[in-house]
Amino acid sequence: MTIEVKNIVKKFGAFAALDNVDLKVDKGELLALLGPSGSGKTTLLRIIAGLDWPDAGEVSFDGENALARGASERHVGFVFQHYALFRHMTVFENVAFGLRVQPRAIRKDEATIRARVKELLDLVQLDWLASRYPSQLSGGQRQRIALARALAIEPRILLLDEPFGALDAKVRKELRQWLRALHSEIHVTSIFVTHDQEEALEVANRVVVMDKGRIEQIGTPGEVYDSPATAFVHGFIGESIVLPVDVSGGSVRLDGRPLNIAANGAASGASKLFVRRHDMAIGPAGSGSLEGAVRHVRSFGPIQRAEVTLSGGEGKTIIEIDAPRDRELQAGEIVGLQPRRYRIFAA
Amino acid sequence: MSMQSNVASAATGLRAYAPTADLTISPLPSRGARARSLAGTENLHTEPGPVRFIIIALAITFLSVFVVLPLVVVFAQAFSKGVGAYFSALAEPEALSAIRLTLLVAAISVSLNLVFGVIAAWAIAKFDFTGKTFLITLIDLPFSVSPVISGLVFVLLFGAQGYWGPWLQAHDVHVLFAVPGIALATIFVTFPFVARALIPLMQEQGTQEEEAAISLGASGLQTFFRVTLPNIKWGLLYGVLLCNARAMGEFGAVSVVSGHIRGETNTMPLLVEILYNEYQFVSSFAIASLLAMLALITLIVKTVLERRLDEGQIPSDHSRDN
Repeated sequence: MTIEVKNIVKKFGAFAALDNVDLKVDKGELLALLGPSGSGKTTLLRIIAGLDWPDAGEVSFDGENALARGASERHVGFVFQHYALFRHMTVFENVAFGLRVQPRAIRKDEATIRARVKELLDLVQLDWLASRYPSQLSGGQRQRIALARALAIEPRILLLDEPFGALDAKVRKELRQWLRALHSEIHVTSIFVTHDQEEALEVANRVVVMDKGRIEQIGTPGEVYDSPATAFVHGFIGESIVLPVDVSGGSVRLDGRPLNIAANGAASGASKLFVRRHDMAIGPAGSGSLEGAVRHVRSFGPIQRAEVTLSGGEGKTIIEIDAPRDRELQAGEIVGLQPRRYRIFAA
Repeated sequence: MSMQSNVASAATGLRAYAPTADLTISPLPSRGARARSLAGTENLHTEPGPVRFIIIALAITFLSVFVVLPLVVVFAQAFSKGVGAYFSALAEPEALSAIRLTLLVAAISVSLNLVFGVIAAWAIAKFDFTGKTFLITLIDLPFSVSPVISGLVFVLLFGAQGYWGPWLQAHDVHVLFAVPGIALATIFVTFPFVARALIPLMQEQGTQEEEAAISLGASGLQTFFRVTLPNIKWGLLYGVLLCNARAMGEFGAVSVVSGHIRGETNTMPLLVEILYNEYQFVSSFAIASLLAMLALITLIVKTVLERRLDEGQIPSDHSRDN
């Protein structure tokens, strides 16, 4: 099932939750909607599910207008952030719900329903919890039951709202891998919303980065990390060093001093230089176009993280650099810095 | 002695009127007080023994004089001429008619208010719309208006000199001084109970389960009967119980619209007053004892329901102390 979203606008009062959003999701994809809270990602998910209605725009599934159908007719599996399990029903009845409310004409008989629920509980490896109530389950178990319940209706699309948001770090990691494995098994077109970049990059085939109701970039995890399209994406995904620079005639200056780097076609004027922490080469004093004093060094694993106060700029600019541990840095040491890979965006 | 049942139902009314969430707050300050006393290396009780004794004794005395004693008097008077007199008083045609009418009016008003209350609570708790605050205020109106006024309103509407009176008379429809009028007045007075019991509960539960049901393909009705209703059933029963107690005990509003036609439009509270004024104490107190019993049963069931309601809160992730 492909999903196409065109020119979606959604306003809550004066606040534009979604501002002209276009998105195409391919069949069998596992797509992440990534953005800070208030970026409109959950609203977009709810509009696709039919739980919210756009003020303008189109939503189509396989070319067919989805807005002509209500949520109950869209055949979309939705997993809620807080699971929304039916608290008065057992796990078994929760999963069976979607099958029991089908119109009489297509409703399966009790034996078939039971077999199907059993199958789904096996799939999420929780068949031993069938007779429990949601209040008796852990967060991770509730999440998996919510997923089994959504899958019971054999959805054409699976939508997950912050699926791991309410879980502790360890369970979250396990469930991520599990969701990936599950997706490659059942291959239903899936979209999940997250504010956790690591989660998006690790789980999704493609990532949609959103901010303030707009899509900033769509790409594979590699693309959004390595070639961020906008300053927002560069700042939001991965740790970045951001320096205010001036671009004029192809040269880049920081506090009036030229940096020995190419402008790469950036327009003249006040700009921002983005460098990944590990893309800032650190060497002896005078080895780069920037210089600074090491304030503090923390070493763990294969890297050392140095806090460096840049010279010039009234000593107020402090940056964090990840350096390999081939040469141990010392606090107080003066070092030369040179961006290896960087991007310049208009400020 | 009709006051008796009215006091009981008014008390239960106040209980419903205070949102249940408020009551759960009350233990908190005392916990703080306890912590303070622990710091002072005292035991868990802050007050010295004699003070505690006086306070408890005062409370018990007060309750005995103002609540228990009147209740005992009702039953003592009812049985003053023996069990036989008691039952024959209840078997009087007038008494039977009053009991029948009270049950009928309660059945009508409770079932209608059940429907109205659920709809109103549903609208308020699950949707956002302009005028919502106004609607909430409006729901409380019957609580803030004197029951006599509530009755008078219907006289002004349906009475011979009222707005619709002449038209109704021309078409031979009897509202005032008949069952419809009594039912209308009772519905008006008891409207807030169900809605008030449900609104905080439904607001706390949110709409996620309903949304989940709809996304799983359930229709609106299926969602209501399979998800919403089971989630609110204890709160709903609680509201219905209080609504019923008030419907059966209502005096003021019903007195205005009933016309006091003997054997026809007298409900139990009205009959109690009439019989008392005619010095038929045994009959009067016999019927009053039925109302008192209703109050006692209501209290017991209410306690049980409150326990169920509190248990019902445990599975939800949200605390209710907001």
